[in-house]
Amino acid sequence: MYYSSESVEELIEQLCRLPTIGRKSAQRLAAHVLKMPRSDVKQLAEALVAVKDRVRACRICKNVTDADTCALCLSTRRDHGLVCVVEESSDVVALERTGEYNGVYHVLGGAVSPVDGIGPDDLTFGDLVNRVAPDPKNPEAPKIREVIVAVNPTVEGDVTAHYLREFLAPYVSVTRVAHGLPIGADLSFADEATLARALAGRRPL
Amino acid sequence: MKIHWLRMQSFRAHTDTRLEFAPKLNLIYGPNGAGKTNILEAVHYLCLTKGFLTNTDLHALQKNAPFFQLTGAFGGTRRRAVEIRLTFDRRRRKQIFSNGARIERRADLVGMLPVVAFAPSDIAITAGAPTERRRFVNNILSQERPAYLTTLLRYRRVLSQRNRMLDQARRKRETPDAAMLDSWNASLVNLGSLLIKARSRFLADFAGFVTKAYQLLNAVTEEPAMTYKCAIAPPDAVDSQDQLHDLFHERLASRAQREQKVGRTLVGPHLDDIHLSIDGLALRDYGSQGQHRTFGIAIKLAQYQYLNSRLEESPILLLDDVFDSLDAKRARAILALLQSDELGQTLITAAEKQAISRFVPFAFEEHRCIQIRDGAEAANGQ
Repeated sequence: MYYSSESVEELIEQLCRLPTIGRKSAQRLAAHVLKMPRSDVKQLAEALVAVKDRVRACRICKNVTDADTCALCLSTRRDHGLVCVVEESSDVVALERTGEYNGVYHVLGGAVSPVDGIGPDDLTFGDLVNRVAPDPKNPEAPKIREVIVAVNPTVEGDVTAHYLREFLAPYVSVTRVAHGLPIGADLSFADEATLARALAGRRPL
Repeated sequence: MKIHWLRMQSFRAHTDTRLEFAPKLNLIYGPNGAGKTNILEAVHYLCLTKGFLTNTDLHALQKNAPFFQLTGAFGGTRRRAVEIRLTFDRRRRKQIFSNGARIERRADLVGMLPVVAFAPSDIAITAGAPTERRRFVNNILSQERPAYLTTLLRYRRVLSQRNRMLDQARRKRETPDAAMLDSWNASLVNLGSLLIKARSRFLADFAGFVTKAYQLLNAVTEEPAMTYKCAIAPPDAVDSQDQLHDLFHERLASRAQREQKVGRTLVGPHLDDIHLSIDGLALRDYGSQGQHRTFGIAIKLAQYQYLNSRLEESPILLLDDVFDSLDAKRARAILALLQSDELGQTLITAAEKQAISRFVPFAFEEHRCIQIRDGAEAANGQ
């Protein structure tokens, strides 16, 4: 027990359970919460509970949404024949920030990892195959032309990409985002693995 | 590369010891158990994030201490000075900082501060299990090319994931999902082939260094050889990537049933060996005690010369107790190396000062004698 209040200790312990929050950060956050007006704290608490109560996975792309279908999947301005596969919803945000992508998404919910007990059935992998494979009952359904695999370039991401290709290649063209050097960075600061991949994926000038 | 000073806190025999080093030879002497080897171990930790003794990190932590901390200031001819700090706590968390900035990946440190250690436990390289010889090769290649270490760590990750998958299927008495296994195989083959190619190329280059070192140690004309034993491909098939991939896949297919039965990966460079021989006879089966010792020192000398020729910086040389276990001829060969100009900074441990000071003039400023007693520098050390 560090604080004389059990309630404060409990808050710190709860905050500690969040990723990237250590004990010191948790103490700082708890001290801040103590000083906040009650109405602000109530708003924060309600927002926390609301994400669990209201948010669910989009019927089509499994991205987070408050409705049955997410705004991206409902948009008529988007190219629904182009699907970008990512691991997490946060990856969608990153790609949307570029403003360069006009297709739709599919959120897998992670990557295959036997050590963590995550197999294809624990991901939204089956939904993706159903989405891509032609539906014999509904031949008029909009056809997907290309799947862009944008999973992380980790050992688990690589295997997930390979697995996806095995299942999707019969129906659509499957591509993977390029790996390489970050724009605006110095070549000499790139790590060897990135440089090696960038060299392997070089293009004619 | 040189280490200017070192501080050890709660590390083995040292509660809090700070030592300064000279740019060339540093003789560390004192009674057994005083903590001499710990100093070399600490330098090794800072260079390669781990010690050269096979004990776990937890053993290095003093009883009742929450963590150990090692700090060292390094400088090179071409690199700016860098202060490396390594901490290890009871939760087995190892953190490394370079000039105060946290280093996230081991591969970002390894190779920056090259180091070669000679220790009595080196005997395991020639006489021990294949894993010792893989460790030896991995050590050199990781220091020469950080990309090798990155590939090695990724390969090990694939291996543990694939093993887990095979084991899970075995426990459930199922056959593993064929498409999933295919995907893990693709990664295993991709990364594994890179390792095989790197090791095969390295051993071809390294052979010349071993022969030269062996001649230096031994007047008798014996021909040492080090050849790569890889169950996947014969040496001539390694250069073609396609051929190597095909052979790897074929081998996986032929062992698939066995792998399912035992629930673990039975094909790949994690099972490689390096075959050592003298005049065509296997060292393990025919080598005498003396031949083992000579071979062991020859490959360590070769390791030093190889890294010295490949890297911009001369490695820091750590000699732990080597003179006590060597006969006169082998000791002379090491001393010849110590006296040569091409040698960088060296740290030597010995029980007696005279064992080395007879041969090396420690009066010069570039050399230093450090006396260690009860986990601290003795005040009357020069």
